[in-house]
Amino acid sequence: MIQVEDLTKDYGTVVAVRGVSFSVGKGEIVGFLGPNGAGKSTTLRVLAGFLGATSGHVRIAGHDIAKAPLAARRALGYMPESAPLYPEMRVSEYLMFRARLKEVPRTERLRAIGGAMDRAGVSHMAGTVIAHLSKGYRQRVALADALVSNPPLLILDEPTAGLDPNQIRDVRALVKDLGSDRTVLLSTHILSEVEATCERAIVIDRGRLVAEGTIEELRARQRSTGLELRVRDPHAAAEAALTAVFGVSVRSGVTEETAPDRRRLRLGLDAALDADTVTEAVVQALTAAGIGIHALVPEQASLEQVFSALTRHEPSAAPEQSAETA
Amino acid sequence: MNGFLAVYRRELLSLWVTPLAWVLLTVFLLLQGAIFYSIITHFASMSEASVDTGPLQAYFGQESIFLLMTLLLVCPALTMRVFAEERRSGTIETLLTAPVTPASVVLGKYSALLTTYALIWAPTLLYVVVLRKTGVVDWGVVGASYLGLLGIGAAYLSLGTLMSAMTKSQLVALLLTIFVEFGSFILGVGEYIFEPGVFRDICAHVSMMSQMEDFSKGILDLRRVVFDGSVTLLGLFVTTRVVDSWRWG
Ligand SMILES: Nc1ncnc2c1ncn2[C@@H]1O[C@H](COP(=O)(O)OP(=O)(O)OP(=O)(O)O)[C@@H](O)[C@H]1O
Ligand SMILES: [Mg+2]
Repeated sequence: MIQVEDLTKDYGTVVAVRGVSFSVGKGEIVGFLGPNGAGKSTTLRVLAGFLGATSGHVRIAGHDIAKAPLAARRALGYMPESAPLYPEMRVSEYLMFRARLKEVPRTERLRAIGGAMDRAGVSHMAGTVIAHLSKGYRQRVALADALVSNPPLLILDEPTAGLDPNQIRDVRALVKDLGSDRTVLLSTHILSEVEATCERAIVIDRGRLVAEGTIEELRARQRSTGLELRVRDPHAAAEAALTAVFGVSVRSGVTEETAPDRRRLRLGLDAALDADTVTEAVVQALTAAGIGIHALVPEQASLEQVFSALTRHEPSAAPEQSAETA
Repeated sequence: MNGFLAVYRRELLSLWVTPLAWVLLTVFLLLQGAIFYSIITHFASMSEASVDTGPLQAYFGQESIFLLMTLLLVCPALTMRVFAEERRSGTIETLLTAPVTPASVVLGKYSALLTTYALIWAPTLLYVVVLRKTGVVDWGVVGASYLGLLGIGAAYLSLGTLMSAMTKSQLVALLLTIFVEFGSFILGVGEYIFEPGVFRDICAHVSMMSQMEDFSKGILDLRRVVFDGSVTLLGLFVTTRVVDSWRWG
């Protein structure tokens, strides 16, 4: 549905997006992830046809946005960041205007508006003036607008920004639901959002694409830096045995209360060494010390860790970084 | 075409559900009423009337400076928000990502402004009705005068639309428009100041006052129609290019 090739966009001297390429297939829900100022909104604005690319090619539903802009825009529903709306209009008036603008045939307009309001959960607000709506409802009206022409592709820029936790849950459920019969590309800087709604993520940072893949693939990019062990160790000798192993530090050792000879250990592995080799050495050292290994689990890197590892900047390049890794 | 109609209807609705158009209509009608009243009382006190200067000719023609001053107030106020507000609030992003061309957005908005302008003038037709009760009305004069006003309004609104597209601030758009339109008005006044020559001819050509004086005699001067039309088209054309250029911002 979306093919982006070597997309670059600059605002005069500021290069917001540099050489980004990716594609989104039919029926996928893809998260577009990056810290503040990474260039997410800029990229989505180019895809939606609001901004022209400085260089590179973008195809939406098979249409080159530079050569057939109207056909490309017909195929997509776009919700800009912060959901701008006309405050003086009523919800139904606004959606009627949008349906006309998006060439929904006259006879289908009422049904299209009703359907969009239903899905976005704003049917009971149809007669309300937009200026009187809460932030959450405005967001939903903007979403209904994106849906009104029933496009096969939705591009949503931070659809949950500024919502309370209940509304965030509702919107995520809605996005998942929408994703069942269409393609969705949504931007966010919240990882749990991607984990909750998306099958795949594209991570950009300072205008460059830094990673792309399913959530599992992204997790796997971060090498395991720890081990969790369950052992039979009646004499509490494991720590002593492990000090001899190069590249291992014991983070904690806990004796289980129900069974005094069972212990739980958490080990840290030196990131500079190959985790597999170190794990093997750990097993050998423990076995040699007569300690029975019941379970050995490599620590899963959380998506947060992956994200901060991918977008970690040198302090000189981005002094504001600390806020994002926190 | 679809996009044009949708934009036109929305713009018209927004103009009339917000207080702006109503405030302008009220101010406008109060001012026109005052002007017309003073002209009528002036004529009523006159002992003899000549053939080609009736109250209508005075209102639309010789005394048109008053009427044009109110236009210099009303037109910039009508156009100031048309693009500036869309850009300030960000709704321009939803508008331009719909399958519409910049030209239909500009034309839709402009047509709504011109319609509103015509609606604001409509109540003044009552003056003509009032005059008819007491005397003879020359319909040629009435028709030509309103055509002249339409031409001036079309040009002013087009310039105002362009100014509104140049800035995100309504206030700056208002001031810019007043500056440009007042400037063109002052240039027209040059007709009465300069010695005969090329410069005076130019001033006369752009003068809204002498346009109204001609039209109020029932004279349809084609050069003036062409001039108003050219200013209007040029303004709309440049506005379309400006809207298009936002993609490269
Ligand atoms: N209109 C503009 N003119 C100049 N620079 C801009 C403009 N819009 C964005 N930028 C710059 O481009 C870069 C990318 O901005 P963008 O809005 O795409 O980031 P983002 O990933 O959407 O961030 P956020 O999470 O805060 O929304 C930033 O450095 C920003 O300052
Ligand atoms: Mg953004």
